[in-house]
Amino acid sequence: MMSSPARWTRGRVLHRTFAIPIVAAALLVAACAEHTGSDEYPSRPVTIIVPYAPGGGGDTFTRAIAAQAANILGVKIFVENRTGGGGTIGVGSVARAAADGYTLAFISTSPVVMAPNFLDVPYDPVQDLTYLARYVVSVHPVLVGGGSPFESFSALLEFGRANPGRLRWSSAGINGAPHVATLAAFRQEGVDATFVPMQGSSEVLAGLLGGTIDMGVISDFSGALAAGDVRVLAEIGPEPIAELPSVPTYEQLGYPLAPTIFFGLAGPAELPDDVVARWDEVIRTVTASAAFSDIAGRLNGKVAYLGHEEFERHVLGDISAAREALRSLDEGE
Amino acid sequence: MENILEGISLALNFNALAGILLGIVLGQILGSIPGLTAAMAVALLVPFSFYFDPWVGIPMMLAMFKGSLFGSSIPAILLRTPGTPAAAATVIDGNPLARQGKGGKAMHTVLFASVFGDSFSDIVLIFGAGALAAVAIRFGPSEYAILVFFALLSLISLHRGSSWKGIVSITAGVLLACVGLDPITGTPRLTFGNAELFDGIGLIPMLIGFLAISEVFRQLEQPVRRLGERTMKFSSRPEDNRLSGKERRALLPTLLRSSAIGTITGALPGLGSTVAAFIAYNEARRTAARPEEFGKGSLHGIAAPEAANNAVGGSNLIPLLAFGIPGDVAAALILGALLIQGITPGPIAFRDNPAPIYAIFVAMLLANLVNYLVGLGFIPLAKKMVSVPKRLLFPAVLVLASAGAYAMRGSLFDVQLMFVFGLVGWIMAKYKFPSVLLLIGFILTPIFERSIRQTLILVEAADGWLAFVASRPVLMILLGALAILAVVVIRQRLKMNRYKLPQEPADSS
Repeated sequence: MMSSPARWTRGRVLHRTFAIPIVAAALLVAACAEHTGSDEYPSRPVTIIVPYAPGGGGDTFTRAIAAQAANILGVKIFVENRTGGGGTIGVGSVARAAADGYTLAFISTSPVVMAPNFLDVPYDPVQDLTYLARYVVSVHPVLVGGGSPFESFSALLEFGRANPGRLRWSSAGINGAPHVATLAAFRQEGVDATFVPMQGSSEVLAGLLGGTIDMGVISDFSGALAAGDVRVLAEIGPEPIAELPSVPTYEQLGYPLAPTIFFGLAGPAELPDDVVARWDEVIRTVTASAAFSDIAGRLNGKVAYLGHEEFERHVLGDISAAREALRSLDEGE
Repeated sequence: MENILEGISLALNFNALAGILLGIVLGQILGSIPGLTAAMAVALLVPFSFYFDPWVGIPMMLAMFKGSLFGSSIPAILLRTPGTPAAAATVIDGNPLARQGKGGKAMHTVLFASVFGDSFSDIVLIFGAGALAAVAIRFGPSEYAILVFFALLSLISLHRGSSWKGIVSITAGVLLACVGLDPITGTPRLTFGNAELFDGIGLIPMLIGFLAISEVFRQLEQPVRRLGERTMKFSSRPEDNRLSGKERRALLPTLLRSSAIGTITGALPGLGSTVAAFIAYNEARRTAARPEEFGKGSLHGIAAPEAANNAVGGSNLIPLLAFGIPGDVAAALILGALLIQGITPGPIAFRDNPAPIYAIFVAMLLANLVNYLVGLGFIPLAKKMVSVPKRLLFPAVLVLASAGAYAMRGSLFDVQLMFVFGLVGWIMAKYKFPSVLLLIGFILTPIFERSIRQTLILVEAADGWLAFVASRPVLMILLGALAILAVVVIRQRLKMNRYKLPQEPADSS
């Protein structure tokens, strides 16, 4: 059957319009599959998955690490945000990735230490991950408003004991480490307080300043502290706050859970030894640099490098402490 | 004064101006692509802002947000697919006007309204931040609950068709918003064990699905020969392609009211520009001399949401600069960039080192001017882009929308969701279910649910609800206003009934 000339021309035009994207796509695929022949790790770009939205503290730190690590390692490092499930989806995708060191994850306390106790997460934090190194810890203090009548943590606890249910408090995120650690502390002190669930530290800070709550446990407070809008009464982690050494920590007070809020890097289980050693060294070099500690200082983080073995021990210790604390909280109910 | 002058001189250097120009251009382009948001691009920039001076990096980011709010309205008008959620309300009147060949006029209205809203809220930010912030910080969960309840009640009137279809749509929106972790207990709800749903359904995949993908499906229905047509035709008459001085003056009351709505919404953390745009649209229609023009291409209906969503941008910085509390994603990113620069927002920053902050203020006003000028150049370009045949344009929209839905969280699940919502949106449009109400239910439910359940917890921690209300002056004012409004509405209804009553006996006799 003969087709008319007009139809034929039209077919040609369609043909050409489709050819261009197909060629472009083919080139793109070819570019992605690019390999260099070297055997030494790393020989091709490394992807670091950040399980949170771009722009957050962990994301910013990880991008700062990635920029410097790319210079040291001599390969490109892609930082990819894969959010969802309170950070557990991104971590889960790395736990299932090939254990070759080309897919790593930014991890923090919540998805590894806390979330597996509450949610059905797609990984086992003890068995499915290799903890490479820690780079930053952040302080997470107990705050009250600038005009609060509570001058000390013991005064606040006193009020809570004497007035069951009247002390209103919050933290950024339900079932996060600050929430659970403070619940356990209150239980030990015999304080019956009212937890007002809020979304993110900005809502908690607004609640403190507006008088909606009496106490908040958050890490983003520097502006309000400088302005005298909030005061620090205690620190939930094991280490005292450097600028406020007289503020008691949950560890000093002998509470069951004094979690370290950390930022670090992890990979799938059974990473090759040379990959582990290489990244341990890279993180140690980067965290020792002046530029990194400058960024950390401004973002209220404390540079706290911890190598592979020690970091792994710390994380596993935190995981079992959290499980223990939650079990005793459950039994108390 | 010295500080202000120093700020002006800092903002007027070449690097700062180049940063603003680049930010505006990038913002307009990113905003006009459905699924790509300025927030994504700015987030990637934050770590690098370390290497810029604060009066270069931060104005550039602010310029991107400003540019993207204008850019996102272009596809809303020309393709019925808003570039970002904030422009969803602009579709209602912008697209009908463009279908009359007056796309040029619609885009000029958007540009004028956007820059007006931006400048209005920037000026409020510069001169009235302290006072507004002091009031806004008094808004706790109970106050938000009343405000959002009020917004829900008034926005339901956006729908003019069958009431049962409206109820079905808004209920669907409310139910979809319930998917995810319970905001109070943290337990999964309606997730069917799928971890991808723990954080709830994303607004971006849902919105792109409902507005962009369903439009692609709608085009698929057209006869093949029509797919060769140009996507949008423009009238060649000059008065259809510009906004006259007279029209601008006529828009002023709407612009002022909408900018004020946007500014107030922005000063309250958490409500956001999409909500502001819908409230302003509804207010413009309620107070319009000819409300029947709304939905058919009213200039007021285009200007109101645009002035409001841009006004949110400036006033979002009010709680940020006053207390260090970011009101939305954009403000949170700016906060990160400020911290990296060593500027801790709050009253202390104004006292100790105010020059960079004044420089940022000056740069914001400059950015509005640049936004206007670049926008004037963008409009003819946009016209050219939609002059290509539909068979080329809509596949491109499909690809870009999929990329955008994926990029949001790096999740293929979101792309699947987008297609499902596209199909649902297409069916809803076919059977005249208002997808706008579904979106409003979806956007307002999380904040309404959270604030009302927080309020219940807070009431329990007080000496009964009376003591709780008495302890919150702003709540008392809001409750009083709500009571007065209820009385007024009921009296109006009674009056209307009284006028109708005499007719009924006449009918029956």
